[in-house]
Amino acid sequence: MSATAIRAREGLVAGFDELLGRPVSMRALALLRVLVGPIVLLHLRPFLADTLHGRIYSDAFYEPYAVWYPELPRAIYVGLLWLAAVAAVAMTLGVLSRVATVTTFAIVTYNLFLSTTHFHNNRAYLVIVLGVLAVAPCGRELSLDAWIRRRRGLPPLESTAPAWPLWLLRFECAAVYGASGMSKLLDPDWFGGTVPWQRAVQARGDLEGGPLPGWAISIVTNRDFYTGAAKFIVLTELFIAVGLWWRGTRYAAVWVAVVFHVSIQATAAVEIFSVLGIAVLVIWAVPSTRDRVLRIDPTDARQRRWRAVVRRLDWLARFRLEEAAPGSRLELVDRDGTVIGGTPASARLLSRLPLTAWFALPALILRRERGGES
Amino acid sequence: VRVARRVVVLAVVAAQLAFVVRGYSSDHKPFAFQMFPESSMWQADVVRVTADGRRVPVETPWAGYHWNALVGNVGLKYPSVRHHADAGLDNQMAFLRSALDWVADNTPRDHETRYLEATVTSWHNADPPRVQVFRSHVR
Repeated sequence: MSATAIRAREGLVAGFDELLGRPVSMRALALLRVLVGPIVLLHLRPFLADTLHGRIYSDAFYEPYAVWYPELPRAIYVGLLWLAAVAAVAMTLGVLSRVATVTTFAIVTYNLFLSTTHFHNNRAYLVIVLGVLAVAPCGRELSLDAWIRRRRGLPPLESTAPAWPLWLLRFECAAVYGASGMSKLLDPDWFGGTVPWQRAVQARGDLEGGPLPGWAISIVTNRDFYTGAAKFIVLTELFIAVGLWWRGTRYAAVWVAVVFHVSIQATAAVEIFSVLGIAVLVIWAVPSTRDRVLRIDPTDARQRRWRAVVRRLDWLARFRLEEAAPGSRLELVDRDGTVIGGTPASARLLSRLPLTAWFALPALILRRERGGES
Repeated sequence: VRVARRVVVLAVVAAQLAFVVRGYSSDHKPFAFQMFPESSMWQADVVRVTADGRRVPVETPWAGYHWNALVGNVGLKYPSVRHHADAGLDNQMAFLRSALDWVADNTPRDHETRYLEATVTSWHNADPPRVQVFRSHVR
């Protein structure tokens, strides 16, 4: 190998190491940790309900992946499931965050691999998410651990950490949409519309019992409709998978992903896939905190309300609040120093808060297209 | 630390890609994220074949056992009714084959059944129907 090639390879490796080790905010993963606890409880609910009726997986057909995989005595297995539920609650509250998250991950993963009959895509995705949360220091914010530390007068722990868990989860998130879209793209029956059309026809009885009018049912069970609709569905999944990676398309991809998940939830039984899919989207926020400033006039009641909104809903800690002189308008200073005020500032603010982003993003995109915002 | 980090990340990425590729050939497709893959349907006549040659449908409870209670929640209840194969036909047939063996092995009060047999009619998407016969091992 020539010296130039060696240097190029070393440069590539060094760049890769820098990318993985770059300190970034763990705030998005902390928020995800909070959101995932209730999702774990939803996931565990059927298993826990069975235990309350005296049943566990081995009372009906099950199929271990490997003969060597350890199976626990009934009482210990049941105890573990309930321990996972307790750990999930502790994980969300941030009590012994790391221990709680690792415990939740370990038990949910153990349970998934007990039998091929336990496997579902949404559960696999949950295991991946829990695995990343277990290795990331995501309990230093939005946690009772952090609150107790403050109460004791101890300095807060560093809220940044090497970026690799975040990049890994972003890869997995994109892989879920990419793999799903690609499998449909490569299947002529799917891409040509046969599969979704037949599924709609198979569900015609349910559709007729639902709120859709007759003309809409005629359309969604029409073969020709799926010649185009199938391609639209496949390209939507692939757009989400690719669009999340670039800043220019990320907001649109997140917006489309939310619509995609809500549509799936309304039309199919997918267990926790929709809520998990939407929750994980928070990881696509730029991993830095308090790098935007919101200036408010504390004498103005309307601006005080905006301050209250930010205090309550800025879960990703994107804004720093500063007081402006009396009589000033609401101002937002963006990362690049751009200052905007009034209604555009309000729209931009709402587009950066997790709970309101989906509703505010279309307005923001429209404004940008009309040249209303630099 | 750098090397460990590099190894972990590359291993996870490689494993994920391998699972995605493997999903195109495996029955259960773990971590392949192939969602809503088929519109395929299936229906099966599942019988117990007894030592004296009788073929008794499993819809009839036997020795205190009920087929629907034995097979759990993997889409195998009421097999004589036409069902959608939720995660694809290969996945559903793999479950059915394994379930026949599991039921044969886990019904100790049953002293008359030699084996279970399923005559399956399946429709892969819009393809013509295909008939297959699966048998459990002999008890």
